[in-house]
Amino acid sequence: MNIKSIKHFLLRHETILFLVLVNEWLYFYIVGRRFASYDNTCDILRHSVEIGLLALVMTPIILTGGIDLSVGSLLGLCAILFGKLWRDAHLPIPGAIVITLCIGALAGGLNAALITLLRLPPLIVTLGTYSLFRGLAEAITHGVDTFTNFPEWFLFLGQERFLGIPAQAPIFVMVLIAIWLLVHRTTFGRSFRAIGFSPEGTRYAGIPVERRIALAYVLAGIVAALAAIIYTARLGQAKADAGTGYELYAITAVVLGGTSIFGGIGSVHGTILGVAAIAVLSNGLVHAHQPRELAGILTGVLLLLALTASALPKILTTLRPRSQTLPSNTQTASPP
Amino acid sequence: MSKEIPTPNLETPEGAPRSDFELRNCFGFRISGIEFVSRHFRELSVASALLLLLLALAIFAPAFFSPQPLLSRLTREAPALVVACGIALVIICRQIDISVGSQFSVCSVCAGLLAASGWSIPMVLLASILIGALLGAFNGFIIASLRLPSIVVTLATLAILRDGLRWARQGQFVNLPEKLQWFGFSQKFGQLLLIITALLLIIVLLFILKYIAAGRFIYAVGSDAEAARLAGIHPQLVTFLVFVFTGALVGLASLMNIVQSPQVDPNSGTGLELKVIAAAVVGGVAVSGGRGNLIGVFLGLLLLGCISPALIYLHIEAYWEKAIQGAIILFAVVADGLRARR
Repeated sequence: MNIKSIKHFLLRHETILFLVLVNEWLYFYIVGRRFASYDNTCDILRHSVEIGLLALVMTPIILTGGIDLSVGSLLGLCAILFGKLWRDAHLPIPGAIVITLCIGALAGGLNAALITLLRLPPLIVTLGTYSLFRGLAEAITHGVDTFTNFPEWFLFLGQERFLGIPAQAPIFVMVLIAIWLLVHRTTFGRSFRAIGFSPEGTRYAGIPVERRIALAYVLAGIVAALAAIIYTARLGQAKADAGTGYELYAITAVVLGGTSIFGGIGSVHGTILGVAAIAVLSNGLVHAHQPRELAGILTGVLLLLALTASALPKILTTLRPRSQTLPSNTQTASPP
Repeated sequence: MSKEIPTPNLETPEGAPRSDFELRNCFGFRISGIEFVSRHFRELSVASALLLLLLALAIFAPAFFSPQPLLSRLTREAPALVVACGIALVIICRQIDISVGSQFSVCSVCAGLLAASGWSIPMVLLASILIGALLGAFNGFIIASLRLPSIVVTLATLAILRDGLRWARQGQFVNLPEKLQWFGFSQKFGQLLLIITALLLIIVLLFILKYIAAGRFIYAVGSDAEAARLAGIHPQLVTFLVFVFTGALVGLASLMNIVQSPQVDPNSGTGLELKVIAAAVVGGVAVSGGRGNLIGVFLGLLLLGCISPALIYLHIEAYWEKAIQGAIILFAVVADGLRARR
């Protein structure tokens, strides 16, 4: 490894974010009491699984240059429908889980159909479904109905430990590995990036652009449904306002992780670091006896800094030639 | 060799110095009925949807039109209308601002605190507009100078402003002095004043967008920033100023909101950004920039705002409001997509 590649590695977004994360951790380790205990680490993990899942599936979507604002609302809708299927339709829990996942796929399919068949902008389509899904959840529960009293073994999934680690962690790791392989080790991942750079070019290269984009959104729907089930198991109840604002956390984590919002550039491990940075920050502040609100402020500031850092090289390169060519330009422009 | 080039007859007022195409588009005359419909398809369809809704209400629930409740409902929508105008400008400029809701809350609370500490109404108004403009300028500066995507930047400022306000105020309501209620006028006059302010603002902005260079610059930058730059417009500056102006409108709207109640709710702006973006989209403002009309935005906001009272008057459960709003947004964009495909 020569010096240039080491420098390149050190300046990579993920490396810098990793250092930020380590600093955060060290700071809270020194300041906070019981922050670094094993129990608390499990706590952080448990609380970040749902947002982590949403951020994971948001990564391929943003890689294609799209965005999905509806995942948080879909989480709420799926949680409600899961509760409804179990309590009112008297389905066994595994059956309800399977049907909920199918509903998630259908909802993702609705997004995908509108975006790919009609070539509509993802921002607006998912803004519409954001309202629609949350509204359906509220309409089904009349805004007040909550589903509780789930059986013990189901709550185990969200609240207990399995072989010493939180029970939902293995599911999260499985999804993580699957998405990482999809994005980084398959032609699908390549095509997501290609679409992010240039959808038209990708089409000419013979890649079915619509199908790839549709895959990303349907995947988001399925994983949002999975997150809804884990959320229900963790809290022991399903309410219409489940997952409110989660889409913003997920997008923040993805962008913090170095994925360009214009698409084409990004990585799944960056996203995981982004999720971890946010989770450690919000948990650590509580242990350091700081106000919770500081977490949101610092996340926002961190996001702005990350964006500025990623934009600076581009700005510098556009500034430099201009200042160099300015004299020659004025020369040619001056009349002979 | 020469096919004679017809010399344009510059004298005739109707004449053809430029092509018909230009005449029709710049000055808006010589339009047949079909063209009018196809050009204003969105405004007309939203207007007819609104008319249908009002007609249904007139038949099934005439109580909807009794003057006093109707006036209050319109007054409640007036601040959102002002913000919607601002967001429409931002979207026409091919940007987006999802922090307007947080800005709205911050401006409301600041204006409330200033009023409670004894500032006079004009000073509070000025301060509120100034605070809004400053918040907008912060967004605009980062977006324009670093050329960062506006959705992410305003996502960050959304989080910063919202949690900053929570931190500073811990969700406390601000009690307002008596004299701020309806600007110290009677309720009816105050309501009329707010509605007229909002309508006047729309008319002025419509005029600016259509006939003043500054307004045309926004469309130019929104349709193609590079082409606008080559035409001598400074796209970055236009973007920055649009954000500042939108911030100022948010400041104005927040004052229009707090005079309606004796207290300031620090969460009054929650969800406002999605409401106004939805109104703009339903009203035919294209998120791809450079296309849109404030009349459409006005109609879109009225349509979305009418839903929840209409549900109550038609005895449908009010919980369906959000779902129906979402369905209307989707319906509008699907109609757009189908028209574009034809």
